[in-house]
Amino acid sequence: MAIPEKYRLKCDFTIPERYKHHVLTDSKKPNIPACNIKTLPGDMTERGCAFAGARGVVGGPIGDCIQIIHSPAGCAWYQWGTRRNLSDIYAWSGPGRLCNDSNNRRRAVTTDLQAKDVVFGGAKKLEEACLEAWRLLPGAGGILIYLTCTSGLIGDDCSSVAEKVEKEIGKPVFVIDSPGFCGVSQSTGHHHFNVQFYNQAVKYREAHPEVCMKEEEKGPYDIAIIGEFNMDWDLVYIKPLFEKLGCRIIGVFTGGERMENLLKIPDAKLNVLHCQRSCTYISDLIANGFEVPYVKASFFGKEQMAKVLRDVADFFGSAEMKERAEQIIGHELEVISPAIDFYRERLAGKRVGMYVGGPRVWHWQKVMKELGMKVAFSMCTFAHEDDYEKINARAEEGEFIVDNPNEFEIEECLDKFKPDLFLTGLKEKYLCRKLGVPTVNSHSYEKGPYACFRGMVNFARDIYQGIYAPVWKFVRDKTFI
Amino acid sequence: MTTPLKLNGRLTIKDLNALPEIPIEGITYDQMYIEKQPICPEYIAPDPNIIPSSKRTVVIDPGRICMPFGAMWASVGVHGCIPFVQGAQGCTTYPRYTFSRIFREPVSIATASFQEDTAVFGGRKNLIEGLRNLIIRYHPEVIAIVTVCSSEIIGDDMEGYLEEAQDALEEELGPDVLEETQFVIIHTPSFEGSHVEGYNRAAKAFLKTMARRTTPNNKVNIIPGMITPGDIREIKHILRLMDIEGNILFDISGTLDCPLRLPQAMPYYPKGGTKAEDMKDMGNSMMTFALCPDEGGAGARYLEKRFKIPAAIGPVPLGIHNTDIFIKDLAEATGRPIADEIKDERGILIDAMADTFHYTMGIRVAIYGDPDIAAAATRFCCELGMEPVLIGSGTESKQFVKDVWAAAHEYNLKPTILNGSDMFEWEDYLKKDKIDLILGNSKAANVSKEADVPLVRIGFPIYDRVGYQRRAYVGYRGGEYLLDLIVNTILDSKFPDDRVHQ
Repeated sequence: MAIPEKYRLKCDFTIPERYKHHVLTDSKKPNIPACNIKTLPGDMTERGCAFAGARGVVGGPIGDCIQIIHSPAGCAWYQWGTRRNLSDIYAWSGPGRLCNDSNNRRRAVTTDLQAKDVVFGGAKKLEEACLEAWRLLPGAGGILIYLTCTSGLIGDDCSSVAEKVEKEIGKPVFVIDSPGFCGVSQSTGHHHFNVQFYNQAVKYREAHPEVCMKEEEKGPYDIAIIGEFNMDWDLVYIKPLFEKLGCRIIGVFTGGERMENLLKIPDAKLNVLHCQRSCTYISDLIANGFEVPYVKASFFGKEQMAKVLRDVADFFGSAEMKERAEQIIGHELEVISPAIDFYRERLAGKRVGMYVGGPRVWHWQKVMKELGMKVAFSMCTFAHEDDYEKINARAEEGEFIVDNPNEFEIEECLDKFKPDLFLTGLKEKYLCRKLGVPTVNSHSYEKGPYACFRGMVNFARDIYQGIYAPVWKFVRDKTFI
Repeated sequence: MTTPLKLNGRLTIKDLNALPEIPIEGITYDQMYIEKQPICPEYIAPDPNIIPSSKRTVVIDPGRICMPFGAMWASVGVHGCIPFVQGAQGCTTYPRYTFSRIFREPVSIATASFQEDTAVFGGRKNLIEGLRNLIIRYHPEVIAIVTVCSSEIIGDDMEGYLEEAQDALEEELGPDVLEETQFVIIHTPSFEGSHVEGYNRAAKAFLKTMARRTTPNNKVNIIPGMITPGDIREIKHILRLMDIEGNILFDISGTLDCPLRLPQAMPYYPKGGTKAEDMKDMGNSMMTFALCPDEGGAGARYLEKRFKIPAAIGPVPLGIHNTDIFIKDLAEATGRPIADEIKDERGILIDAMADTFHYTMGIRVAIYGDPDIAAAATRFCCELGMEPVLIGSGTESKQFVKDVWAAAHEYNLKPTILNGSDMFEWEDYLKKDKIDLILGNSKAANVSKEADVPLVRIGFPIYDRVGYQRRAYVGYRGGEYLLDLIVNTILDSKFPDDRVHQ
């Protein structure tokens, strides 16, 4: 459906190809923008690369592995301690003392490819680097090797290196072949990581059956949480809720997890899938390969979190668990209601713009409603059709949606819709603030965790602080404009 | 309601989930306690034989970032300039993220959005389309075309593609469009060097493209290197006191530290940056000062060779000796007397040194950073009577070694120098030695905490503190600020509270 004239962004008159990425939502007949397609070169996109999706988003949170970037030093540097995908696994910094940052964020390990490697190949260097890293960073649960543009283009045979190193060290060594130039966005990297990790994990399980869960170790309510990356310690609230329900969490893919537990994930009875953009792939693979079903979940907001608990209880089917789910939901709502009521009163009627990778836009539509706020417009960096279907289903009628927005479109939308707050990431944050619009960091959070009932209070507080910060009244003092 | 108290009032995961009510302010970090799990049950020492980076292949914790990043840093210091990165989207997004972390400012950089087909067919189409899409919406005054690993490996003929792009633009939009925007091509394959070399190459590329000889002027050229907006303001302040006019390339003080003032024109462009006409005029100046030898020296040498403009290359004017050199060279090159105010500023720094040497003398310090800034910081520490015992540079540099040895020799010290090493090696030395103080960037923060050695932040990058980018470390006033940081850190960590009262 063509969008009405008043929604046509002026900044795109000269690149009309962009208009097919703009739609207005319709809950009955979903309007899906052109999505998951190539970016127009030079349009000032906010998208990243496949390597960022593989290493930064999905692989990065793994807690106990050496993650070697086969590239010049830069690509490794950019992944070093950036996203707040936290873990409680810490390497030793010396005898009797642990490091200051969790193992997955503490180091950057790279082959540091040089011009001569580009000419003569870097496979030998990779092999040496893996074995040396193994001796220098003891205690790791395995090695993950990532390819980048440079190693992807020179065409090193990294899989045979991985096989050799794996034999040498006796732990899994997996290759993630997802160079930056692959695909249209970081979403390609999520997909690559899922498929490649799954295939190598299955192969490893077959060759080393001792890493699988033994029959006698398996429990009736074993679950794995998929697509949860422990941003700012979301798992602090996620895990205990399922444990209270009576489940045992045997692994998290991938937030703060150990390799040995990742390898056991196919032994669960049920997978609970949170990020349905980056991790539906592996959930489907496990469902097909191991007949482990999954439930789709959103850990944000009251209604959605309640639904997850009910869905998991329904899956296991015991009346006792269903009863417990209701008790937990009732109790948690009570625990947060004074705080949520406080913020709801102050946020009611405020208008918010949302710009996140994909799923969080629809995860948060209901959260905004629960806080009494109205979504003015939404944008997604790398969403696919299914994300936009969910957005259409959850949004108010006629909400303006932009796929793969660029910097200019963001500016124009802020100017056009004048939201009271913009939920966005770090790069865009400072642009918005220069335009006088408060933001909340929606990738790594401001002061999280934001997940589950208890985390929602933190989210509401950060939104409240964004909108009510005294600075904004000085910005608009006419005397000084 | 009673709150379970643990670990100075902090709550474990169990406690957090047992709280009967979440307070209005939520649960903040100071209340959360996450118990650390060791990666393996017992400490295992890393293999000592391969800790020196010269004895191994793998690089752990590199003290250097990619070459295009340095070129982008330089380019965003040019007025109305948008870098166009000929590579995959990550080669733009990661640097933008990094700039935002450090400067807390927006940075606009365009990408050619390389994909699989580009890897096969090359980036010709991406450049031609990309420049068109950028120009028609943003009308940049300058576009800095920055290549990366992929475009260099594929072998994109940037000069040829640019010509084609200009022809296409002229055909679509008329000849005026070519007057509107100037192009600079910077070749920065990361496998040939770090961000330091990227900035260096950008300096040369910009000057080669833009600088012209017309009428000689009375100005000096300053190529600052990757120092802070505050540093550049300090250099301008010195020039003002000396009544000298300067062309500063690349001036990030007006692009990476900007006011929030409404209304803001769209698209957002910072007000400042080096103007195209000033770059052109750099071919007419009396002298060029490249403050960081490895970051901009190539630009100064180009002007010397091409237009016979004498070049003063380094050292970074940080501390007494180095700033003295800069001031004397400035006075000599322009025939201006050294302003009395500058002598006062020098006097204030010396006064501060005279007041504090009992705190600083004998303090053993470890330094890590980019070569130019690490060398200058080493000398300043010597001037304060400190003992730099371990000095590392993330990027290999002959000048760095030369400068550090010169200072060490003068002050009768024998430091360990790690040239182009990684932070893993530096960290190992540091943790095994008795070190009192670290001078380094934010990447040294973990090491500082783990080794219980306080950190004074200086250099690139600093992203875990606010305001550092607004401060100056260069010049006498910058030295004063750095001295204050150093001494206050020493007072906090080395002296009992009753000892600092007088």
